[in-house]
Amino acid sequence: MDHHFVIRVVGKLLIPLVLLFALYVQFHGDYGPGGGFQAGVIFAAGFILYGLIYGLDTLRRVFPPWLVRLLVAFGVLIYAGTGIASMILGSKYLDYSVLGPTAAKGQHYGILIVEFGVGMTVASAMVLIFYSFAGRGRQTGEDFGEIDSEDRRDRPDG
Amino acid sequence: MFWAAMIGILVALALALVRAIAGPTVYDRILAVNSFGTLTVLALSVIGFLMGRPDFLDIALVYALINFIGTIAVLKFLRYGDFARATQADDNDLV
Repeated sequence: MDHHFVIRVVGKLLIPLVLLFALYVQFHGDYGPGGGFQAGVIFAAGFILYGLIYGLDTLRRVFPPWLVRLLVAFGVLIYAGTGIASMILGSKYLDYSVLGPTAAKGQHYGILIVEFGVGMTVASAMVLIFYSFAGRGRQTGEDFGEIDSEDRRDRPDG
Repeated sequence: MFWAAMIGILVALALALVRAIAGPTVYDRILAVNSFGTLTVLALSVIGFLMGRPDFLDIALVYALINFIGTIAVLKFLRYGDFARATQADDNDLV
């Protein structure tokens, strides 16, 4: 009864294409439609499809919640770090012109790095939202930091 | 040529919308919404060529992928009532 054979095979074929298309939208964003946010959402959609087909626990093994939380913060760090780097190189915050040998090249590199950070944060945040929605009412508190059992008992919804 | 295709797609969209509103069961509505999404992909492609911007093909491709995932999610929610369980009780056979 539960052998959804077609959806499993189609999902396996489709997930790599979704992830590849997300990378295309990410790194082709300066020539076509796209950018970091859209690419992040598409990338997360690939993981969400995997979670829908193979279950939340399998997805948690593939993309563990500690790594998701780390990447949410790390994308913001990349964004802010680019700004700090341009300050260190002697210009204003997030002034990309000093990042490359010429101003045009520097702006190109800068927007690529910043969009990469945006995409990383958005993809991880979307996966985290899926974890919270799909894991509602289950006995895991690991998505939101190291809540030990004592802590969890105090919370009404934990 | 593209205008003729556009008119055909618009008629099909209207028919799918009628089915989505009138559909007696929920599966009729899901099927209608899914075919509405597929027709939206076609409409986006045709609009792209009508406006001379083939970039729209990227957007159409994204719409196709997201539409598929959305339909899967709605069907799974209807069937099981949650998103968390695997579609198969035991993971290791067949695939």
